[in-house]
Amino acid sequence: MSAPPTADIEHERSGAVDLLPRGALVVLFVLVQIVAFSAAYLASIPTAYAVFVVVSVAATAYAANEGVFGILTAIFGSVLLIAIGLPLALFVARQNPSLIMEQAADPGVHKMLYFSVYGPLLAAIGSLVFGVPLALLLARGFPGQSVVSSLVDLPLVVPHSAAGILILFGFGEGGAFPQLSILGTVVGAVLAMIFVSAPYAVNSAREAFESIDDRTEYASRIHGANRAETFRRITGPLALRGILTGGVLAWARSVSEFGAVAIVAYSVRFFYPPEGSVVIGQHAPIAIRSAYLTGGLEESGAVTFLLLVLSTAVFLLIRWLAYDSSGPSGGLP
Amino acid sequence: MTLSVDIAATFTAPGAAQFEVEGTFDVEDGETVAILGPSGSGKTLLLETVAGFHSHSGRVALDGQDLTGREPEHRDFGFVFQDYALFPHMTVAENVRYGGKYYEETGDVNALVERLGIADLLERYPPTLSGGEKQRVALARSLYVTPDVLLLDEPLSSLDVPTRERLRSDMLDILEDVTSVYVTHDRTTGRMLADRVLVVDDGEIVQRGTPTDIFERPASPFVAEFTGSNCLSLSEPRLREAIGVKNGAEWLAIRPEHVRLDNGTADVEARVKRVVRVDSMYRVSLSVGSERIEMHTTEPPEPDSSVGISFEESGRTLL
Repeated sequence: MSAPPTADIEHERSGAVDLLPRGALVVLFVLVQIVAFSAAYLASIPTAYAVFVVVSVAATAYAANEGVFGILTAIFGSVLLIAIGLPLALFVARQNPSLIMEQAADPGVHKMLYFSVYGPLLAAIGSLVFGVPLALLLARGFPGQSVVSSLVDLPLVVPHSAAGILILFGFGEGGAFPQLSILGTVVGAVLAMIFVSAPYAVNSAREAFESIDDRTEYASRIHGANRAETFRRITGPLALRGILTGGVLAWARSVSEFGAVAIVAYSVRFFYPPEGSVVIGQHAPIAIRSAYLTGGLEESGAVTFLLLVLSTAVFLLIRWLAYDSSGPSGGLP
Repeated sequence: MTLSVDIAATFTAPGAAQFEVEGTFDVEDGETVAILGPSGSGKTLLLETVAGFHSHSGRVALDGQDLTGREPEHRDFGFVFQDYALFPHMTVAENVRYGGKYYEETGDVNALVERLGIADLLERYPPTLSGGEKQRVALARSLYVTPDVLLLDEPLSSLDVPTRERLRSDMLDILEDVTSVYVTHDRTTGRMLADRVLVVDDGEIVQRGTPTDIFERPASPFVAEFTGSNCLSLSEPRLREAIGVKNGAEWLAIRPEHVRLDNGTADVEARVKRVVRVDSMYRVSLSVGSERIEMHTTEPPEPDSSVGISFEESGRTLL
């Protein structure tokens, strides 16, 4: 009745790599990569490391008895990893620590980093608060659903500078809510971020809701829970992981947003708690571009490094909070 | 509690034709009514409509009190689903007690889990349970709220055969005094558990009666075949002659157990096509002309031989 244990299947296929436990193998592989990268970098031949990655991945696949198809899959997959990972590795390796320390001590950079976490956080919360109910409706289905669904996905295909223009037309001077000041304000920047990031929150939550069998909710209803209670006790907890994933994606998308924010709030006035006053700063992607134009690759690299460290830390924190504190089947107790 | 149902509902699925379901029936206090029908006949939709999961026209009433406009949570029904529909993020104990919050009166949870044999599973989570254990938990969850009516949608059909047989025999006790509607495509289960049976085809009830009525006196070739009778076309002259049909009957429905091997006063001669051993007896497939006949016996004939067979008078239904 139960599926055969996966370990047995893996055991049959494993070759030379089976001599070591899986965890040790991963650590060994990573160590070899670090040593190879360091050697290639110090010898000023980073191209050699790119070749080494492909060869080492193919050799590992061969040692694991993955067959010709498995080796080819690993080789093609590793090429993409080089395209993503090598710039990152070279970027980190080529940073000037003293320049990073200098930037890390700059109050202007602090303001930029503060806003680049805080603004996207507001956008992610806004996307979830209004996006989750919409996702629930879309998952349930209604007449005209395809039109609404297309509207939600529209920001994914609109160039983001155009999205900024749309927001100015919609909510700027002469638009709706004239009492709302959006040009150069937190509201404007967050609106721009919501515009581009909400589809991620809605679609992720929608997929989570769609994956819940109707009958699980029927079971809740027939045993006494009304719709709201069913959402609180069953649908919400079961979809929580998808909802949080949507929130993380919306946050990450907002952090990286340049086009729409540059149009609506190139420089933004926001309350900065360490100074207890309203200050003027820039969203990180805009600040990085400014640093690149004025200070060149080195200075913009140091700012980028700080942003990467901070984003990664926040991302890991949210993942840890969202996934490691959940119950055995992914929901809350 | 007497459940009275008189409903009709229309369903539309993307890319599919409209499907209409209708049903008029009563379930007396303590009675188990089986809704028997093939896959896709609309029996699950009918049951879900009674539960209030789908909008419908007509009326659902309990002891004369109209429940039609009520949401499922206000109907005081229990529902056991084919695929269990347990809450995967809650322990067995939390699943069983789920409805306790909404009902003033609940069953004795300790007695219930003992009776259903799940007392040692209370701290486990549903994904770690076997199919039979899951369905026992689902039954406990429904019985815990002491529903006025228990609705069961093919609760045994996802289980393997030994587990199904064990739970089916336990069901006899569980459903003894419970007013219940039991949907199934399995005629053995329907016959064993039900006080009355409704046969459903293409969204409507095509025959109703006691299990004996339905199984021994089917009203149509469809019901005959679905309940396991031989349904023989009387256009075969040898059969027509053998049973001496005088009226305009077109079909002879007869259960396999009413067909006898008979070398003395046989009604008709048949050819043995296949003999298969099933548990303690043999299932024999015979042919008379183009008609296939199934029968059960403990003394099987030789395959490809000719045998005389007779149809018990009391088991014949002419359609």
